[in-house]
Amino acid sequence: MFRILLRKFLEVFIFLLFIMFVSFLFIRLAPGDPVLTILNVDELSVSQEQVEAVREEMGFNDSLPVQFGNWLLDFVRLDFGVSYSTGQPVMQTLMRALPATAELTIGALLVMLVIAIPLGSLSALHRGSWIDRGSRMLSIVGAAVPSFWLGLILIDMFGVRFGNLPTMGRDGFTSLILPSLTLGLAISSVYVRLLRSSLLDSLSQEFVRSARARGVSEGRIFMLHAFRHSLPPVITVFGVSLGSLIGGVVVIEVLFAYPGIGKLVVDAIRQRDYPLIQGYILIMAVVVFLVNTAVDLSYRYLNPEMKLKEKEAHR
Amino acid sequence: MNKKTPLLALVSLALSAGLLSACGSSESSPAAQPSTDNKNVHFLYNFSTSSLDPHVDSSYVPLRAGITETLVRLDEENLTVAPWLAESWESEDGQHWTIDLRDDVTFQNGKPMTGESVKASLERALEENVAIQNALKIDTIEAEGDKLEITTTQPFPEFASELVNPNTAIIDVSESDVVNKPIGTGPFKLTSFTPGSKLELDRYDEYWDGASPLDSITFSFNEDANARTLALKSGQVDIVYRPEVESLESLKAIDGMTVESTSTFRVHQLTMNMQRESMKDLNVRRALDALIDRQGIVDTILLGYGEAAIGPFLPSLPFAPTYAETATQSGPDAAVNYLQEAGYTLQNGVMTKDGKPLQLTLLTYSSRADLPLIAQVFQSDAKKIGIDVQIRQIDTPEDYMASNRDWDIATYSNLTAPRGDAGYYLNATYHPKGALNFSGSEDPELTKIIDELNLTVAPEKRAELAEKAANYVHDNVLNSFVLHPGTIVAYNGKKIKNWVTTRSEYYMITNKLDVM
Repeated sequence: MFRILLRKFLEVFIFLLFIMFVSFLFIRLAPGDPVLTILNVDELSVSQEQVEAVREEMGFNDSLPVQFGNWLLDFVRLDFGVSYSTGQPVMQTLMRALPATAELTIGALLVMLVIAIPLGSLSALHRGSWIDRGSRMLSIVGAAVPSFWLGLILIDMFGVRFGNLPTMGRDGFTSLILPSLTLGLAISSVYVRLLRSSLLDSLSQEFVRSARARGVSEGRIFMLHAFRHSLPPVITVFGVSLGSLIGGVVVIEVLFAYPGIGKLVVDAIRQRDYPLIQGYILIMAVVVFLVNTAVDLSYRYLNPEMKLKEKEAHR
Repeated sequence: MNKKTPLLALVSLALSAGLLSACGSSESSPAAQPSTDNKNVHFLYNFSTSSLDPHVDSSYVPLRAGITETLVRLDEENLTVAPWLAESWESEDGQHWTIDLRDDVTFQNGKPMTGESVKASLERALEENVAIQNALKIDTIEAEGDKLEITTTQPFPEFASELVNPNTAIIDVSESDVVNKPIGTGPFKLTSFTPGSKLELDRYDEYWDGASPLDSITFSFNEDANARTLALKSGQVDIVYRPEVESLESLKAIDGMTVESTSTFRVHQLTMNMQRESMKDLNVRRALDALIDRQGIVDTILLGYGEAAIGPFLPSLPFAPTYAETATQSGPDAAVNYLQEAGYTLQNGVMTKDGKPLQLTLLTYSSRADLPLIAQVFQSDAKKIGIDVQIRQIDTPEDYMASNRDWDIATYSNLTAPRGDAGYYLNATYHPKGALNFSGSEDPELTKIIDELNLTVAPEKRAELAEKAANYVHDNVLNSFVLHPGTIVAYNGKKIKNWVTTRSEYYMITNKLDVM
């Protein structure tokens, strides 16, 4: 057991190191550096010599291996540096924004579940009916509508015309409603279709027919057998796309002035705020890794076959 | 039994999700309805910041929100440097400065502002912000009572105007959390800050210039122009900085809504690359300058919210030259004339000289949305008289223009006198050593004027030299200036009193701001 844990830990460490190295290269190879932003050239008089001096002092003239080596040394000491634009410790800045993003992501997932589970199930159970065709239309529309537009429509409807839901900031539960709704509606269209096709696949499986033969009720078959069997593909897609979901909420964050992590990192990229970008990538790598591990573990419970096969392999 | 738990969990998750969202949608009344006896103004700004460090954060929110103040400020009427926390300042040689501070100022924690506290604040700014270190060129600071003796590392006549910079604001640095809760001298003190979202401020009763009639201010951020406009329409906010331009008509249609526009210190310009063969010819540059349809661009791209520019400086600045009307011709015909003087002829619809067609590469970038549109208008106007302009979209203009010289013209946007002095723009853009000298201009005569400006202390003489430099730039078409974009502010005119849209864009929440 200890050896398995140690191996897993080593694997994760090497995986993180690799990701950090590749992203380090990409960030540094992109044209430009943060010196002009640091010196605020848009407003302050700066000479080319001063620009060069700061560039030298901050080590941007060093070769890439030297720069990476320095970064690695700090990384091992768990020093993630300070943001060039705010002078604040990077991890503190990111950790302050992370809960907001997590709340928004969970809110959007709840909206997605509320829409996708009934709609996907009903259109699989009543294939070809009006509800199936209706949900297909909704999915196409949902996939085609840009989320910022949907967000503006929702603000106009629920913030201005009928009702006064908060449209900005993060003040308790109510301010989460509109952004979650916008994001949840946007992602649900994919999952409705995915759940439907996965359910149709499970409903045509042998075990469903044998359950029917045993006289199990349709409701029980659906809830305990078919639905459960259809979840792994849906969860796989979810696990893979969670990273882009968290990173992709920028548009929503800007629209609703929601203080999340996406907006923070887009600004950092624009200003070439290297430490902040690296810190973000590190956090995201860990989050994606954790989610995917959870997804892997969930297979064992959702699909009993796996457990059986594992047992057989051990014999 | 064991097998059922995960499914049960899932079902209950789905159910609770349904319940949650159901109670969410029913809870549509706002959390806190502002009570009538609390005089609050909600201001919505178009940038967001995740840090409040008054000395580092370049969004200048602490100053804009009325928490902090600087030693000197920009007077809105004359656009000259005026006293604020400092009563007066003087220097004989531009290197040794004596600054007299007001003696009636207190920080928002009740402590008096003294020479020592100002010194400590300035020293923190120098230490934390390398840009401020570069800009102020301070060698030593001595404090004695309410007097400061500051020596700069070199004669530096615009030193006083550099103190307009919001990053030089005076705070009490002995406070523990300067970064998240700065204690300044302004009319409003911070009560809470949500990074990237908003500030809550309360009136500071002991404010030296007279306490505000308001009880509190909410200063929030939203970077989406449409969302800002909607927030004003819904009544959630009272004042909106830079609402969506396209929807201004619908805002104006609302009873009591006031929309204001003021030209800023910014100029959108066409930078000329003087190192390119065709661009070395003054007549070619004049032709390109004549080709820019300034008023047309202001009317179509900015929907009239801007001012056509002749030179780099806003005409209301004391050192902006009064360009004689007849000095330059403009329009496509004038452009063709200039090109013919330069030796170009129209062959098969193409401007050609010595068998070579006139082809130009025009750089533009999207982080300022007006610029690519200006580039397109210019391209189409140039095509009409036989000039082939290729537009190239770049990402980071400063880096690209400094390291690549394979372009002829570039759209660029600059603040030309952000602190009421011309020194910054002239040095950065036209001095051979300037960091924004993208045209590669190394004109000895102009450099001489700038060098002289850098040693001149008397304001009148400085204005004279700045005007001379601006005229020189204009006569030699070292760059072409298109327009000064306007700042638009919309507010609820039935509620808000004494709002001023400043040209400097520094001063927003003041002690004069009031409600009806």
